[in-house]
Amino acid sequence: MRTRFDEQLNTLGQELIKMGALCEEVISLAASALIQKDDALAAKIAPLDHEIDEKERQIESMCLRLLLQQQPVARDLRQISAALKMVTDMERIGDQAEDVAEILPFLNGRTLPEHIQIREMAKETSKMVTDSVDAYVKQDISIAEAVIASDDIVDDYFVDIKSSLISLIAQNPTEGEYALDLLMVAKYFERIGDHATNIAGWVLFSVTGEKKGQPPAD
Amino acid sequence: MTKRIFRSIFLVAIAVFLASVVLFLGVLYDYFGNVQQRGLKTQTELAAQGVQTVGAEYFEGLSPKGYRISWISADGRVLYDSEADFSEMENHLEREEIKEALESGYGESSRYSVTLMERTLYSAKRLTDGTVIRLSVAQSTLLTLLLGMTQPIVIIIVIAMGISFWLAHRLSKNITAPLNQLNLDDPLSGEGYDELSPLLRRIDAQQRQIRQQETELEQKQEEFEAVTENMAEGIILLNTKGMILGINRSAETLFGTTHACIGKHILSVNRSIEISKLLSDIPKGVRSEKIIDLNGGRYQFAASPVSENGNIFGAVLLMLDVTEKEQAEQMRREFTANVSHELKTPLHTIAGCAELLENGMVRPEDTQRFYAQIRGEAGRMISLVEDIIRLSHLDEGADDMKWERVDLYALAVQTVRSLFREAENAGVSVSVDGETAALDGVPQLLESIVFNLTDNAIKYNRQGGAVKVSVGRFEGGVRLCVADTGIGIPKELCERIFERFYRVDKSRSKELGGTGLGLSIVKHAARLHDAKIELQSAEGEGTTVTVIFPDSKENIKS
Repeated sequence: MRTRFDEQLNTLGQELIKMGALCEEVISLAASALIQKDDALAAKIAPLDHEIDEKERQIESMCLRLLLQQQPVARDLRQISAALKMVTDMERIGDQAEDVAEILPFLNGRTLPEHIQIREMAKETSKMVTDSVDAYVKQDISIAEAVIASDDIVDDYFVDIKSSLISLIAQNPTEGEYALDLLMVAKYFERIGDHATNIAGWVLFSVTGEKKGQPPAD
Repeated sequence: MTKRIFRSIFLVAIAVFLASVVLFLGVLYDYFGNVQQRGLKTQTELAAQGVQTVGAEYFEGLSPKGYRISWISADGRVLYDSEADFSEMENHLEREEIKEALESGYGESSRYSVTLMERTLYSAKRLTDGTVIRLSVAQSTLLTLLLGMTQPIVIIIVIAMGISFWLAHRLSKNITAPLNQLNLDDPLSGEGYDELSPLLRRIDAQQRQIRQQETELEQKQEEFEAVTENMAEGIILLNTKGMILGINRSAETLFGTTHACIGKHILSVNRSIEISKLLSDIPKGVRSEKIIDLNGGRYQFAASPVSENGNIFGAVLLMLDVTEKEQAEQMRREFTANVSHELKTPLHTIAGCAELLENGMVRPEDTQRFYAQIRGEAGRMISLVEDIIRLSHLDEGADDMKWERVDLYALAVQTVRSLFREAENAGVSVSVDGETAALDGVPQLLESIVFNLTDNAIKYNRQGGAVKVSVGRFEGGVRLCVADTGIGIPKELCERIFERFYRVDKSRSKELGGTGLGLSIVKHAARLHDAKIELQSAEGEGTTVTVIFPDSKENIKS
């Protein structure tokens, strides 16, 4: 009975890793599309997002079935409940990457200083997502803590971008639409960073059983 | 086993002992009975003799110890009894021994008393007057005998049991000792029982077989590991669930993991979607291949199912580094495109000029110029083709080239002299200095290195500039240095100028008539000589190219 349960838990872990890999893919596609101004890359995001949604449903029902049939306790329970929460964050990452992809075509052909800042921000966020999935794969607390710490960097980027966009609008009111689009992209990346932080938090929870300093999820 | 042997010995000893005691007692009892019987008979004879001679007086004062004497008349009346009041005794005629004595002269019988605790032996003799004298004696039964002997028997049994216990213990230990001392790793060593030797020989043979098989297995394992560990291709063995069963060093390096990943899922090593997709077809028994970018390189991944009798029980994931191959292919593609482009341009000019001439659209005084143009372009094509041929020679590895001892200085002076006219045209002064420096090399290639470098230094110079070619020896090799005061090369392009057909300034190069292959030839020729090229350049100030030829091993020896 226990071996079967272990096997199911392993499968759950593997599915979660696959979903994490999909998230990494979409966020890196979104970042590359932004950096290389390549609409073709952005177009690849939508089908991947559907795949992520599909995976979310699959993992959710897997978790619920495990909770019902095995009535897990202690570490197993933590692992399953963390998985249940993590898929939500991962699914949000997928959605927001898709949102970024929708805005990108309106930005192309423009290069302003803010654009460069957003690229850096995208790179950082992409790294956060990769690291949070890494933390889950390796069950490594130190990586998870590093991810949580680097959320501040992304937040700072957002604040910087916001203030420079405000001055851009003040100087050049006709750029208002462009500035707002950029702000949206920055906001999406900032949200993705938060979700990566959440994932790292759930990794911490599933390993240590403690839940600390969790920024509110949306 | 010791216990069992001990128990058997002990039980046998006790049983033998008890049996012998019983038999012994039986025999003894019988013997003593006989002795008593004979004694009784003798006594009876004696008493009979006495009565015969003395008559009734014989009994007076007779006090027989242990015996009971009765005198019985021929009609069965008791005439005398030593123990009972004979006047009241019943008729003894029916008594067995009396009956027998009356008939044959002597009779014997034995009877148990009422309590059964005693047996009485009777012996009777008929006297000449017809009376019978009878003697009887009490004999204790076997049971009483045994009861009487209880104490000594118990003591003897206890002692015997003790001795047999001790003996059984010792013996059983002695018997099993050789078995306990058997060394199963080397069964034929100790002294054992002959009965065991076939078994031990068998064990020994099997052990040797096992050892041999183990060594063979180890050898095969080592061979396999030696092959997989040292191959440049990465290899990962997976089971059907995707767990890693084996991984070689190349794959470990590629995925940035260690041997510790064995037993984990492939996803925990690399979760790239492409690899997952590649492996997803394995359960169907389909082999799939894909080129995947990983760690900044391009790798060809091949996933093949491992199956036997149609059952798939694993997969082999093979990774081949195709970075260089892809790059080379890319370069070849670009080269082909470039070559055709470079060849097309002069051909267009030639065709255009020829067409104009053919249609008589050129004024007679201009024809000379057109001929010159055609010849110039054809010349350019020839030099281009020559360069391409030289490059392809170099690509081939140029086995057929002759290596000899060359004085680089002399060669430089000679080559530079052939460029004087061009230098003059360009308004550039060229100088060669240095010392005699001999090295092993291919003269044609060394010449093309000096020629191309100097030619470039002259072409990409400014009016009134200077080109300094210097040749010198230094510790461990020969150095060729070509310095100009020309236009220089932007820093970020320094790497690219050695690429085929690459030009920093395309429009200018056309006028100067280069093929775009010069530096590429220099690079290849230098590589053939194991030489290193160093480039120092400042935009607008000039470029210094230094080629360092290391001494070949033979040179160092001499």
